[in-house]
Amino acid sequence: MPYTITDKCNGCGACARVCPADAISGEKKKLHSIDADLCIECGACGRTCPQSAILDAEGALCTMMKRSQWPKPQIVIKSCIACGICIDACPAGCLALSERPRNKGVDSFPYLKNPKACIGCGFCSTECPVDSIIMVKPEKTTVQES
Amino acid sequence: MRKPYMGKILMVDLSDQTMIPESIPDRVYEDYLSGMGLGAYILYNRMPAGADPLGPENILGFCSGFLTGTGSLFSGRWTLVGKSPLTGTWGDANCGGTFSPAIKHSGYDAIFFKGISPGPVYLYIKNGKATLKDAADLWGRDATETEEFLKQQYGPKAAVAVIGPSGEQLSLISGVCSDRGRIAARSGLGAVMGAKKLKAVVLDGVYRIGAADPAAMKKLSRQCLKWVNFPLPLPGKMMASVGTLLRVSPLVFPQDGLLYTSILRKWGTGGMNQTSIEWGDSPLKNWDGSNRDFPMKKSRTLNPDLIKKTEIVKYHCYSCPLGCGGICSSKGKQTHVHKPEYESILALSGLCMNEDLDSVYYLNELLNRAGMDTISAGATAAFAIECYEKGILTREDTDGLELTWGNTEAIVTLIKKMIKREGIGDLLADETKAAAKKIGKGSMEFAIQAGGQEPAMHDGRNDPGFNVHYCLEPTPGRHTLGAHLYYEMFQLWKRVKGLPKPSPLYTKGSKYKVNREKAQAAAACSKFMSLANGAGMCMFGLFIGSKRVPTFDWLNAASGWTLTPEEYMTIGERIQTLKQAFNIKHGIEPRDNFISSRALGKPPQKEGANKGRFVDVEKLAPDYWEQFGWDRTSGKPEEETLQRLKIK
Repeated sequence: MPYTITDKCNGCGACARVCPADAISGEKKKLHSIDADLCIECGACGRTCPQSAILDAEGALCTMMKRSQWPKPQIVIKSCIACGICIDACPAGCLALSERPRNKGVDSFPYLKNPKACIGCGFCSTECPVDSIIMVKPEKTTVQES
Repeated sequence: MRKPYMGKILMVDLSDQTMIPESIPDRVYEDYLSGMGLGAYILYNRMPAGADPLGPENILGFCSGFLTGTGSLFSGRWTLVGKSPLTGTWGDANCGGTFSPAIKHSGYDAIFFKGISPGPVYLYIKNGKATLKDAADLWGRDATETEEFLKQQYGPKAAVAVIGPSGEQLSLISGVCSDRGRIAARSGLGAVMGAKKLKAVVLDGVYRIGAADPAAMKKLSRQCLKWVNFPLPLPGKMMASVGTLLRVSPLVFPQDGLLYTSILRKWGTGGMNQTSIEWGDSPLKNWDGSNRDFPMKKSRTLNPDLIKKTEIVKYHCYSCPLGCGGICSSKGKQTHVHKPEYESILALSGLCMNEDLDSVYYLNELLNRAGMDTISAGATAAFAIECYEKGILTREDTDGLELTWGNTEAIVTLIKKMIKREGIGDLLADETKAAAKKIGKGSMEFAIQAGGQEPAMHDGRNDPGFNVHYCLEPTPGRHTLGAHLYYEMFQLWKRVKGLPKPSPLYTKGSKYKVNREKAQAAAACSKFMSLANGAGMCMFGLFIGSKRVPTFDWLNAASGWTLTPEEYMTIGERIQTLKQAFNIKHGIEPRDNFISSRALGKPPQKEGANKGRFVDVEKLAPDYWEQFGWDRTSGKPEEETLQRLKIK
């Protein structure tokens, strides 16, 4: 079930700008709509909408959150297996492998390269086969630099 | 319930630039999975018989694996399919990296191309929307450069598959590159892409890939992880002695893949360099030499520890916990290049008697950028050297090159010429068989190939299983489908009923005896690897053993089916039979694809690890073919087999 937009929408376009799947379309100041085939249920639109006009996959109303309050991934390197699934799963492309200096044939691990682009969807965390990623709400600086 | 496949393919006709998404019925996935299976299904049904591999009728397909993105491990391989211009048979090439999940993220299980574009183009798919773009500026650029350019334009998340100048110039040993030097190299499919004037495929999408039971997928993945981090206490210089031990010991025991996994984890495929040379697994001096021609004194430059020293960071393909690849910088000459694989190293060193590891790094990078198959390039160079040494090629023919064994400088120049198709390079750029036909003078004897494809750096005289697969597969000359050793490592008898279990200790000579068990084991490997290629699984993961790496259980948990391992093996058999039926449809005689007699041990070697060994493939073939229900004499699938497997 994809996300849907109710008629409370005032057409500000904030959701369309944040959507990583290009699934939201609509003219400015007019009711927007979500393409069910393209929606990946990341919930970014729901967290953005100032009008509370978005229903999630279960039909529940989403509440707006300040972007600085969106949960962000914290990667536990100790149990990480460097398989790269999280990097691929991220629809915003904000994770990357660490580019360390020459350190002789060791694995490089993922880190949050672009925290500003993170949409807090948590796909990285759900898809991690070893549950090495936890989504935490940033209090001040809890984003672990690796 | 979510499905592990997207249920759609994209069919691009380059001639009239149309792109049609097509729905594929569930039945096809149930019968063939996706990946190579889906590719075989589409190509068999849609390509007219006798299609010219470099003409508009050939279909080139980029297929993602069935298990890719479902939470399984070792499942990031994609398969490139098409009719091979090199062999005229069914062609496929397999590659890792991040391209396989990207195909699914674009909303398709596979992307197929037919027709020929009037000018150079590349395909760009953003969130399912496909456009063909002009590639005139990119034509002629090398693969890495093109990929970097496209990534700059479309962002680092875009996955790119691209051909280099070799593919553009229709060299029949060219492949398709992705991730700056991972290459789907075999079967010469880069030339097909070049003939279609398709420079690259750029994918950038966020479609989600599902699984029927994600929790079960994760549980299975975790259970198998404990087998991955197995530390290997041996230092690199000991690896040669392991090979010596394997050579001198008259008795052998079935090998456990865990040993290989730990070698791959520590060094990558290059960990086996010296072991293979000493053991007799690696062909030397264009398949004429033995370990005595390339003793430890010479091979010590290939010591895996030396390669490890140049490695900056490990490279993992998508969903792989093993990470056998690496990014290297060698003595400042080559910075940030992919670590050369075992096959590349041995083809460019041992096969040409070249001792210079630096030149291997250089050539590996050069060939990756050009998009040329390192195995075939090395084998072709070795062929040219032997022709020169035997007086078939003269100094005038070679443009003044002193093509002698181990002449590093000449080998480097020759391969550069092959990439540019200059002078003698033009003659050799289409592999050994084509070159030998043009040269004549009995040079065919020195062209070691099976149906036109150069076999990989695993000697079938040492492991007769390799020769069976080199000769009898629908894609001849390939080492990634089965071998005696692979059968032992897959440990299929632990999961699949009715397969023979190797005895705990046996003599080396017994490997060469022709019997039903051999055929059963070889057929099981073929079926299992066909299934694995449909699932997008990596062979190195499967080496851990079928009980430890739960391929069958992953397939069930991802799809929601409840099939038994035997039923999955039937899917493998179906894919294998369809590939053979494809060959028959296109007029291929399976018997014509037997490997050159030197590689079978005719005449047998006089010294070294494989002294006196001969593999009688003629005798093995009927039993192997019978395992699939193919005719014992001609290798053609019987009518009732096609009906049993629901192909017809």
